[in-house]
Amino acid sequence: MFFKSLDLTTALRPLLLPDETLLFVQDAVGLYEGKYKIPDYQNGHAYLTSHRVCYVAAEEPRKFSVGIDLKEVDRAEYQAGFFKSSPKITLYPKPQKGKTDKSRSATASPAVSQQSSLLPVHPSSPRPHSVVPQPSASPKPVNATWICPICSFSNPVPSNFDPATATATTHLPPCLACGIKPPFITVLKAAISAAASRDSPLPSTTSLPTEDNAQKHGGHSGSSGLMGSVSCPRCTFVNHPSLIECEMCGAPLTTGGPSIQGDDASRADSPAPFFAQSRIANSEVTDSIKLSFRNGGEKTFHERLKGALIQRKWLLQNAPPVPLPSQAAASPSGPAIATLESPQPSAPRVTAVGIAGLEQRGLETRMNNQLVIGNAFEDLEALMASAKQIVALAETLARESGMTTNGGASAETNAVLSESAAALGMVTTKDMLSSGSENLYLSELSRNLAEYLTDDRKGILQREGGIMSLIDLWAVFNRSRNGVELISPSDFQRAAELWEKLKLPVRLRRFKSGLLVVQRYDWSDEKTVRQLQEWMEELRRVPPDETIPWDWTVFGRAVTAQEAAQRFKWSVGVAAEELGMAEDRGLLCREEGIEGLRFWSNHLVA
Amino acid sequence: MATTAATAGTAATPFAFPSTYNFPPFFTPQPNSTTRHSQLQKWSSLIQSWCRHHRTYRLSLVDAVDSPLFHNAALRKRLNLAEARAVVDWMTKKEEEGGGGQRAEWIEGAAAGGNTAPKSVAWIWWRRPEEWADVLVDWIDVTGQRGVVLTVFELVQGEATVSQGRSLITQTGSTENGRADHLAEFHGMDNDAMMKALNVLVKRGKASVFGNEGEEGVKFF
Repeated sequence: MFFKSLDLTTALRPLLLPDETLLFVQDAVGLYEGKYKIPDYQNGHAYLTSHRVCYVAAEEPRKFSVGIDLKEVDRAEYQAGFFKSSPKITLYPKPQKGKTDKSRSATASPAVSQQSSLLPVHPSSPRPHSVVPQPSASPKPVNATWICPICSFSNPVPSNFDPATATATTHLPPCLACGIKPPFITVLKAAISAAASRDSPLPSTTSLPTEDNAQKHGGHSGSSGLMGSVSCPRCTFVNHPSLIECEMCGAPLTTGGPSIQGDDASRADSPAPFFAQSRIANSEVTDSIKLSFRNGGEKTFHERLKGALIQRKWLLQNAPPVPLPSQAAASPSGPAIATLESPQPSAPRVTAVGIAGLEQRGLETRMNNQLVIGNAFEDLEALMASAKQIVALAETLARESGMTTNGGASAETNAVLSESAAALGMVTTKDMLSSGSENLYLSELSRNLAEYLTDDRKGILQREGGIMSLIDLWAVFNRSRNGVELISPSDFQRAAELWEKLKLPVRLRRFKSGLLVVQRYDWSDEKTVRQLQEWMEELRRVPPDETIPWDWTVFGRAVTAQEAAQRFKWSVGVAAEELGMAEDRGLLCREEGIEGLRFWSNHLVA
Repeated sequence: MATTAATAGTAATPFAFPSTYNFPPFFTPQPNSTTRHSQLQKWSSLIQSWCRHHRTYRLSLVDAVDSPLFHNAALRKRLNLAEARAVVDWMTKKEEEGGGGQRAEWIEGAAAGGNTAPKSVAWIWWRRPEEWADVLVDWIDVTGQRGVVLTVFELVQGEATVSQGRSLITQTGSTENGRADHLAEFHGMDNDAMMKALNVLVKRGKASVFGNEGEEGVKFF
């Protein structure tokens, strides 16, 4: 069992793998290795997902966050609290095959190098290095990359991709560069070859890791590095030793021996549990990890952990949908989307041609849809199970209606709906948290929102010109939740108010009129003022269409909130507020007339 | 008594409006206090120069709101009565109070166009009474009339004020032009305004006013 480094999202939550879902969150959790507390890992959030148990520290989360794969967990035991001892959950690893714990020191560094490359390296985040030096028993694709046949971009093989269990139906993430899904065989080959190369001993670097290891046991790591530079294992480009990714091709530099140096350099300032443990434990290491729940929530956590261990979602990636109960003859079998023509035509179907055939087909489709919708709404459980299907159906319906009405709005709706499918796995619902922990719910919701806003795939904030009213956000966000587990406005506002406290990359801002808007944290009034100023300058250079009684080369032209909204892609309410803000600062002045309120560059103040 | 008095000579040249007069926001009260202050200052100086150009001492707002002063026909923008009143109100206040330095003064109970509401007619002091007093003293000095008794009518309407003013211009030459203009400025002045200026001089002990209402005489010391 390993502590693995975690990739965190912008909102400092663990980045979920494809098909991974969040099951439970609990705050005020501490980590134990065996009997001993791990320093710096004593106050954080524990995230239970369908694949992992993750720990993210409250202070310096980028430094102190680890994850444990559930597939390496044998069982979990619950231990009730006693006097001052908090209730704990102990995770026992699966028994090791072939290797004993005594091989620790000898095999430590390959494990280290392998561990550090288990997850795709997040370039912007300093990676936590929290590694228990135990060799992995199960074969695992490590640091594998597959080359996209379309654009020849090197993509990492998803870490939950196991060549042993993967089949052609396994969900594969699309190419990071071009977005085309790779052929299954490409990824499989890459994974196998990577696994093979990892299993073979490293011939030239065997001496280095041990040396390195000795350094680590000495309690310090040399940041100078034995070698001046690191050559990339893939393209052989000679990189600076402090780089963790190849400058040329982006390959992680942690595979080979020399790269450990590079890894080490960045590690110098972060004392990971590895050191800590070797300090605390020295020889006595019990092979279990404990989560100490200082703020309750352990019962639900344990329950859901057991459930996740039984379900073993990591085995069946992209499982076929729940088989439909008692179906009419016309219903499709397998994973076909309801509106699609069923691949195997049902038996009593008459092969009609012409208009009659088309009509029959339409009838069948309608019945199909009816069935899907009917099943979905039978009860809530069924709705959750068939959410994917329903979303797909809604998308096709939206597309159809979009064809007839041809509205930009419907395209927007479509986009929101398709987003929602992705959002399903990532939302925090009250259900995931133990009752009574209102604060935790709010802070998780707050992080959730920040993620949603900063997600580049959706680009919510960008589309709105970097600023968005809280009400709009509330509407869009609730819409993306598909009408399930909607957030109350008061919860929403309180969550938004937490952004600043949690140091998230968005901020809530109150305009003079009381309008609440959401902005990127680095956005300031000065930037807006500068933008407006540039615009005013521009207007002074453009000759007006009709003759006007004033001197346009001096005064320019008036702008309305609508025009500003259009230009900066703000909503009108936001535009009015921003113009008002600029007026307050003396940049603009107003003109009220029959055309409404218009703003001018301020020529009244000399 | 006419509320506005414009001499034939000055009306011939059209009034040159400042550039802000053609700036549409000029006619909308600004909510920003800094901008508002600046706007009021601009209005104040516009009203003063307008009145000076037209030799207007009393400004009836009811009549003026339809004049080009408050109504920009080209822009189709105007200052309505309430806003014009706000501007003049600001002008009546002292500078220390955040006003326009007492460049205007409401005439209480003055009727204008049948409108007896307060704050409808105001003195516009493009020269404050104290400044007028200085102008008078200067003129008396230059023309050597200290100790001479003059009637107010002579001061305002007399040939002397016109001719003296003009002759001074020719005598003193271009360097004294500005001052010479000032000297002649009170010709055709509103009687009540002149009395206010003279009263200032009385208070200073520089002149004494005697005689009945309407036929006052004045002696300068």
